[in-house]
Formats: sequence, structure tokens, C-alpha cells
Amino acid sequence: MKNRSQNITRRVFLRRGAGGAGWLALGGISLAGAAQRNVNPFAYDLQRVSKTDPKLVSYEPAGRFACPGPGPRRLAVGPEDHLYIAGRNGVSVVDGEGRRLEEIALGAPARCVAVAAEGTVYVGLRDHVEVFDPKGRRLAAWESPGKKVWLTGLAVAGTEVFVADAGNRVVLHYEASGKLAGRIGEKDKERHIPGLIVPSPYLDVKTGRDGLLRVNNPGRHSVEVYSVQGDLESSWGKATASIDGFCGCCNPVGLALLADGRCVTCEKGLPRVKIYSARGVFESVVAGPESFPENARAGALQDRSDGLLGGLDAAVDSQGRIYVLDLVGGDVRLMRSKA
Amino acid sequence: MSEESKNGTGEVPGGIHRRRFLRDGARAAALTGLGGLLALAVERSAGAGTVWQIDPQKCVRCGNCATHCVLEQSAVKCVQAYGICGYCQLCTGFFEPAPNDLNTGAENCLCPTAAIQRSFVEDPYYEYTIDERLCIGCAKCVEGCTRFGNGSLFLQIRHDRCLNCNECAISKVCAGDAFRRVPAAHPYLLKTTSPF
Repeated sequence: MKNRSQNITRRVFLRRGAGGAGWLALGGISLAGAAQRNVNPFAYDLQRVSKTDPKLVSYEPAGRFACPGPGPRRLAVGPEDHLYIAGRNGVSVVDGEGRRLEEIALGAPARCVAVAAEGTVYVGLRDHVEVFDPKGRRLAAWESPGKKVWLTGLAVAGTEVFVADAGNRVVLHYEASGKLAGRIGEKDKERHIPGLIVPSPYLDVKTGRDGLLRVNNPGRHSVEVYSVQGDLESSWGKATASIDGFCGCCNPVGLALLADGRCVTCEKGLPRVKIYSARGVFESVVAGPESFPENARAGALQDRSDGLLGGLDAAVDSQGRIYVLDLVGGDVRLMRSKA
Repeated sequence: MSEESKNGTGEVPGGIHRRRFLRDGARAAALTGLGGLLALAVERSAGAGTVWQIDPQKCVRCGNCATHCVLEQSAVKCVQAYGICGYCQLCTGFFEPAPNDLNTGAENCLCPTAAIQRSFVEDPYYEYTIDERLCIGCAKCVEGCTRFGNGSLFLQIRHDRCLNCNECAISKVCAGDAFRRVPAAHPYLLKTTSPF
């Protein structure tokens, strides 16, 4: 005999079905309402430029490690491909895998660093340069070059040291003894130098094998090429959020040079690392904004609301690999060419 | 109550006289009322001594300031810290993230109400000024400036407009928990840190 109590009638089925559909509809409306309430009608939309075309990415991650000290600002590659990371407590020396080798402790934050071929370490503090031997012993503390000094970049070539002073919008040319030999990049109509525009403390300088200096001019969204005597040889770069230019109000914020003269640029706001030819033609992407999610949100983080602690820096080792320092994430990525 | 329990004074043995009870009761009521009035006065005085303000270090530019104020046009306005501003030619608080050109064409401008005035200073510097009559406190410019620039644009409650509600409607929905009461004598939380 058929047990009807375990079955339901068509009417009950329809009634329950209608009830279920009603609840589902109510839930949907409620969810849609909640989603609508959370949408910011005034959102700053960077979606279109935040994604990198994978075809343009020519490097891949080969390693990653946390900086040994807090507040990293700049990094440089020294002899034996050791990394020198300038940070809040001084300079940390690590090997390619992040193992700490040495610590140069300072009484104030180190803001930039460069290492000579024989191992002498030049460290930029806010307003002066200090020099250390390869063992980390202080050799000298140079006199501050003046008022409003805010050192943010360093480069060394042979016996010459170049110091980027963002506060005074100039690159200072020093002899290894600490004697000031010249000023580079200042506005000069007769020499056709437009002058450096540095809205925030991110002026960098690098020396190439061709004997020329590369200096970022963030307010003009360009990289300028100077002779050691301070003549402006060329400049390149354009302001655009597109991948082939420099985004935001003031980029690039960091530079590195590959052995063949190609230039590695670092940007903030839309954190990305790219490679340009020696003449300034965009070639490829080392890492796009999706690689640095925390850095991209730098402005949204508490106590980092000025964007002044955002940004990236880069350095190239003897094998042509690129180390990328994430100032917000506090870590270093090793990127190697896919080729 | 039995007759035997009453004495000549009308007091109840082991109890209190009705007159005294009423007198003591009236006194207690008066003291309670006075205390209440005093507490109310203190509370009102404290309320008058503080005002709502936004902590710019906590603001996450959620857009709620523009949409949740009880006023038709929000009392929250963008303000400019000129000492922090880079006077950039390409101001990311003024221009869309990918502008067609660096001019004041509406299609290039970020502000939905054209409340930011851009004026030439000298090559390549421009000054950016907020027209508070037009600003609705949406924080779109604040996000652009903070993300790419020095963060010189930020939101503040303007006290010539704010009604100082007991429970600020924006504070209840603020995504960054940035609203707090501050002494009326120091009603603004300004950014002062220069990039240099």
C-alpha cells in the first residue's frame, strides 16, 4: 500500500515552492541593498591602469625576503653582490637571500646608500654624508652642505660621489675626500637646464658605465642625463598613467641601471617597476601594481596617510638581476629575466 | 494601624511621622532635582565645550561625509595645507587619473562639483584652492592627493556650518572611525608635517 504521508501534494509543493522563491527574492533584494549601500559613488577609479598586460612583463620573481631593519628607504648592491639597505636604524648588509652579514648602526635614519667598488660605504643621513670602511667602521662625516638639505639618493663612480639633495633640488658632486666639486641639475637658462622639480622627498641619482649621470625629475615626469660637469645631455619620459609613462604627480621615484645602459624606473602611487632603453623608450615591465598590493594602498593605511612612505627602489646585481625594495611592505624581491 | 500604636505626637513607634515623611521626601526630591539640573548643566556645558572633527590620519576617503551629513550640503569640506602642497603641474587631486590634457576641461577634472580652482604661479607650479561653497566633502581629491602626492588635501568639519549634533550622523558610518570630539577652543585637526 502506498504511504501518502511521505509524499506531498501538488498544492503543498507549489505553496512551499512559492514561499521559498519569495524568501530568496527577499534575500537577494537585501543583499543588493547592502552592496549598494557600501558602494562609494565618489570612488577614485584606478582599475583601468592597475592591471598589467602579462605580455609586457619580462621578469619573474626569483626570491623574496624581509628587510632586517625597520623603515627601509633605499638599497644598493656592493661587492660580491651584497645588498646594502638604508633604513631607520642605519644600514643593513645582507646577502642575496636576505641573510644579515653586517649592521652599520647610526644615530639617525639612513636615507640613502652607495657602495664603491672597493667596498667603501657612503651613507646619506638627512643633511650630511657619512663614510664607512668595508667593515662598517666610520671613516668620516662630511659637513652638511647647507640649509633645507634632505638627502635621498647617492651614487659613487671611482673617486667621485654624487648626492641627491631633494630639499634643495640639486645633485651635489663630491670628491671622495668630501670636498664639494659641483652642483648639478639646478635651473640654468644659459645651459638650458629647466631645473629639478621635487614635490616630495624622492630624488635619485645613478652613474652609468658611459660616465653619465641619470637623475630622476619627478615633477617633470622624466629622467635626465647629465655629464659629470653638469651639462644636460638629454632627457626622456612623459606624464601618463599608461604603462609607457610615469603616473601621478611626481614619478619616477627611484632609478637603477643595467649593465648595457638600460634604465630601471620605480614609481609610487601605482607601484610599478619598468625598463626603458638607454634612449628612454619603454621596453617592458619588471613588476606591476598587482605585485605590491600593500604599497598600492599606502595612502589608505593609518599613519601612512601622506604617501610619503610609499614607493619602491631598485638595484641591479652583477648578473643583471633586479632587487626591488618595497618601502611599505618592508621586503626585497629578487626579479630575474624570463629570457 | 491600631489605635494603641499611636502616641501623643502622632508618631508611630518604630516608624516615622507622616509630616516628617512628607518633609523629608520633599527635601530628597528637591535635592534629586537639583542634582539632575546640575548634571544637565554640566553635560550641556561639556557638550558646548567640544565639537566634532575628523582625524586626517584616520580618514580613509570612503565618501560617506558627502552623503550622510544631516545638512543638505555636508559640513565636511576639503582643506588645503599649502605648506605641504607640492604645487604640482599634474595635481592628482585636481586631474583625473588619466587626463586627456592638463587643462581645466571638465572631462579632465576630478572634482564632481568643480570646487578646486587651479591658478598658475610660475613654470611649472600651480596653486590649488578649494571653493568651500561648492565642495561637498566627497574626498575624491583627497584620495588622489594622498595616493600619489604629499597628502596636502584633507577633510575637516567646518564649524560655521556644522550643527554639532549630539550623535553625528557621519560618525556612525565613518569607515575609518576618524570622527571624534575635540575641544571647541581647538576645533581643527590640521596636517602640519611638511614633506621636507
